[in-house]
Amino acid sequence: MVRLTLAQMRRSIGRLSAAGIAILIGTAFLTATLLAGNVINRITTDSIAAQFADSDLVVASSAGIDEAGLAEIRRTEGVEAADPQVLRAFELVSGGKRTYQVVVPTASDPRFEAQELVEGAMPSRPGEIALPSDVAERLGLGLGDSVTVVRMVWTPGAEDGATADASETTPTDETAPGEETPAGTYVDTNEELILVGTLDDPMGAYAQVGGAGVLSNEDLTAWEAESYAPGESTTAYGAVLVALAPGADLEAVRSSVTGSLAGDTEVWTSAEYAKEQAAQMTGGEDVFTYVILTFAAIALLVAALVIANTFQVLVAQRTRTLALLRCVGADRKQLARSVLLEAMILGVVASVAGIVFGIGLVQLALTVAGSMDLGIPLPSLVQVTPVALLVPLLVGTVVTLVASFSPARAATRVAPLAALRPSDAPTLASGAGRVRLAISSILVVGGAGLLVMGVLLGQQGSAEAGLLASTAGGAASFVGVLVGAIFWLPKVVSLVGKVLTGSGSTAKLAAANTLRNPRRTAATSTALLIGVTLVAMMSTGAVSARMSMNDELDGRYPVDVSLATDGYDEYGGNQPVALPQSTIGTAEKVEGVESVVPLTATSVTVALDGDDITFLARGVDPDGAAALVRDKAAVEGLAPGTVVVPAGVAEDWGISSGDELVLTAAELPEDANPQGTPATLEALVTPMGGRALLVTPQTLEGVATGTPVTSAWVGLADVNDAASVVPALQDALAESDLPIDVTGAAVERAMYQKVVDTILGVIVGLLAVAVVIALIGVANTLSLSVIERRRESATLRAIGLSRSQLRWMLAIEGMLIAGVGAVLGIVLGVLYGWAGASSALAVMGDVTLAVPWRDVALVLVVALVAGLLASVIPGRAAARTSPVEALAVD
Amino acid sequence: MDTTVYQPIPGTPPAQGTPAVRARSLTKLYGKGEATVRALDGVDVDFEKGAFTAIMGPSGSGKSTLMHLLAGLDTASSGQGFIGDTEITALGDNELTRLRRDRVGFVFQSFNLLPMFTAEQNITLPIELASGTVDKEWLATLVQTLGLGARLTHRPSELSGGQQQRVAIARALIAKPEVVFADEPTGNLDSRSGAEVLSFLRRSVRELGRTIIMVTHDPTAAAYADRVILIADGRIAGDIDDPTPESVLAGLDALRTLEGDPADALAAGPTGSTAVRA
Repeated sequence: MVRLTLAQMRRSIGRLSAAGIAILIGTAFLTATLLAGNVINRITTDSIAAQFADSDLVVASSAGIDEAGLAEIRRTEGVEAADPQVLRAFELVSGGKRTYQVVVPTASDPRFEAQELVEGAMPSRPGEIALPSDVAERLGLGLGDSVTVVRMVWTPGAEDGATADASETTPTDETAPGEETPAGTYVDTNEELILVGTLDDPMGAYAQVGGAGVLSNEDLTAWEAESYAPGESTTAYGAVLVALAPGADLEAVRSSVTGSLAGDTEVWTSAEYAKEQAAQMTGGEDVFTYVILTFAAIALLVAALVIANTFQVLVAQRTRTLALLRCVGADRKQLARSVLLEAMILGVVASVAGIVFGIGLVQLALTVAGSMDLGIPLPSLVQVTPVALLVPLLVGTVVTLVASFSPARAATRVAPLAALRPSDAPTLASGAGRVRLAISSILVVGGAGLLVMGVLLGQQGSAEAGLLASTAGGAASFVGVLVGAIFWLPKVVSLVGKVLTGSGSTAKLAAANTLRNPRRTAATSTALLIGVTLVAMMSTGAVSARMSMNDELDGRYPVDVSLATDGYDEYGGNQPVALPQSTIGTAEKVEGVESVVPLTATSVTVALDGDDITFLARGVDPDGAAALVRDKAAVEGLAPGTVVVPAGVAEDWGISSGDELVLTAAELPEDANPQGTPATLEALVTPMGGRALLVTPQTLEGVATGTPVTSAWVGLADVNDAASVVPALQDALAESDLPIDVTGAAVERAMYQKVVDTILGVIVGLLAVAVVIALIGVANTLSLSVIERRRESATLRAIGLSRSQLRWMLAIEGMLIAGVGAVLGIVLGVLYGWAGASSALAVMGDVTLAVPWRDVALVLVVALVAGLLASVIPGRAAARTSPVEALAVD
Repeated sequence: MDTTVYQPIPGTPPAQGTPAVRARSLTKLYGKGEATVRALDGVDVDFEKGAFTAIMGPSGSGKSTLMHLLAGLDTASSGQGFIGDTEITALGDNELTRLRRDRVGFVFQSFNLLPMFTAEQNITLPIELASGTVDKEWLATLVQTLGLGARLTHRPSELSGGQQQRVAIARALIAKPEVVFADEPTGNLDSRSGAEVLSFLRRSVRELGRTIIMVTHDPTAAAYADRVILIADGRIAGDIDDPTPESVLAGLDALRTLEGDPADALAAGPTGSTAVRA
């Protein structure tokens, strides 16, 4: 029987290889995921270990080690040097460029130095700094140049707590009068430092924070002390690095340090500590790996469908052989075993190939990434673990075996009599049983119910319960839809086929062909349906989330982008800083920018509730503003004699439309007595965002003479291009010496669009594997049908079907199967995506349901083209069939 | 009935217009060098219009090869084949496809109906492939002549063998082809259904004016034809007009003698004028 199985496999080698590729891709995916998880763990551990450089021990305590503890460690016999691990961050300013930079203190022993000098020296005295070479380059700094470090200093005083004092200080906390507060504020202080060295980080110790600069220990310690309010904090270190004296015994030092320090202090070797820290960072469990394994599971599920389909067809084609075997004495069990053995051999071979392929893939990725200098030290060789080998082998084989159960059962049902019947053309297969229909209906109805419940729960504010219910409902109903595919999918294909029938006889033939074996068509389409549904669901969810957030943002920000010298100063009271005319010109030239409207601004006071309240008032041309704002209502009615009051301000101060407000020029830090005439204006409360009052420039000029242009509103041609226009705008303005704040809906939009798009891209990429496997399935089914229908193809050729018509017939057949799978997948995916978005996003406010038309079109085109391509090879084979074969009798 | 056996074939076609199908020195070789097999060896033969002709011969005689070449299903090694005035041996695949579509019909031994189509859809398929319009009157005539009226909406699996073959005949005739080739049309049928199918073929010729060329090895089937052409070893070995089962059997018997020792048989042929030519 084994010999016979092998002989049969040899005969069907082409079909089996195609099915094997499905398993191969699945196991390769699984192997690569497991290996990549290992690699990522190793990179994390290595980069953490790199921070400990060549230190021997790490003393760690969750309570922190204070100066006394540090001194104790340094005193311990056998310890040559001990440095605390300190990581601080400051803003660096050079010219118009700013960056936020992590810095570490100079090390007391070269063994603690994780970075290498490229040029110059490490800082040896206060006032010196060394920076990563790329940071120095970005800031345009050379050795000996000076760079400004902005640090925060706790300044006692300022008893009254008023916000009037705003010359150089930025109040970080709005303190309400009367509340008990520490006497003092945090004040930004600039330090001028000299760049003395540039650094390289070969081991990637600080790669995760974008590299670290080095400051003298004295500076850092002093600044640290000044940055806290008295008594607020005592310096404590999380970890102290220890270097041993030559000849000292590691274990002896370890136990004496442990003994000398109280509490939960632990002493680790550097390698142990790195491993521990890495485990803490990833949460002990590998979330990343588990998430990707889910996608590997989906890919394998689709592969299983392809395998099941292939074996189903192979058994059908071998009916005569199987019947003959039954005639000469094979029993049912032997036939079933033969099919299962075949599946097992295929599973093992394909899995092994998949594992090798997966290892190769990860190695290739490592080699390519290694040559690209990502700033992270990558292992040069992939480390193969037993788990990464055995799990895919086992899973691949078991999946193949399980997928062949049903075909194996079909093989046992072949009657010996079948060998004696004349070989007819394959007849139309019957449908499926009632049990299946019942299970499918229950799952669909129950799942849909849960889904609706999830949406309702979400709308009532319980997003978590809602998401749980809709996930369970979605999964159940989808399984129901798949189980029941045999009942409805062929009908849909038939319907589409009927529509196609109008377009000619070839299409009619193709449509009829897809219907001759509903089970096979259903299984093939289903494989594709799974992948497409998930892809469509993800992109619908993403696009709905994006639209909902866009609406939310449009409401919050009246304009796409605002460029301002006073972007974060919404309350007024500061000296206006003029926005250079060149900035407006630069902004206008950026691609994707449609219009730029300048705004003047100054501080005004308005008498409200008996007090003079300071506001920032901006002057904007009503026509220009109206043309640019997303919500016209925000500036509606703005004219000489009126003042637009943002809804938020109106609510806080009890202002309503029609109230008369008197705007008076406010005292400015550099101008105690501003020129101008107070103006009485009619208030208009609009859905405008922010805190600034809006008037016309003429009105503002009247109130306070000589108000400069301090900001500009920028309208984008297409706000959905924010992700590309905003960075371009920021780059263009970075050249300016004056710091310009770029804010607005488009900026936030660009930010989260990038996040959403990245996540979506990764998910769709992972799901694409399943889609590719499904398309292999389409090609395989088509090839099998072509072989099966050899005689029929010859007959069609004999009665007048041309070669190209035959090829076209198969192409339509392939596109019909793939297209229907894709369209149904898209419909289901959009519905699921909407349900998911409704239940998950309802807490955010109104959910906008959208269809990702571009993605939908792309999926459809890919499916149709793939269906077309899948027909090429079978089409060629069919076209080669001579019409003479129609006359042959076998 | 005139039962002349071994009627010599005239060197020139009969005078009643162009024959429906002609072969001139038609040769088909299989294999190369030493292993070359002459399946068909310089055959000259004419098939008249409006006639039902049977090609008979033992297995491997070349009767099927002759039909394949004349129907444009296979390519000749040398020589010419004509349907009407068209030299089919000079046509490319697309022209041959069009020829099959418009001017030739086929009836197969195993019916070869498409299982997913109804009887009617199967019948009209050639017209649809050619994007033509079905001649309803002609369809009705065919359906009536072949007795398919009640079966038009049935699929092949719901039809008996004889019914399936009648559907296949209707399909072959629907485009009113110049000639219909039938390859062992009764091979898969019991004798009653076979007789039925054969009388339908004969009626198609007599009543509907069609031309049919049938390959068979069954003398009873051949006797339904107007004329029988005997073939052996790739050559024409005889020609019987208005055959009866007996006359066909007699011809076949003579052939068997021929096969046993062709040279002797040729020399000792009863009429001395066999149709075998060099």
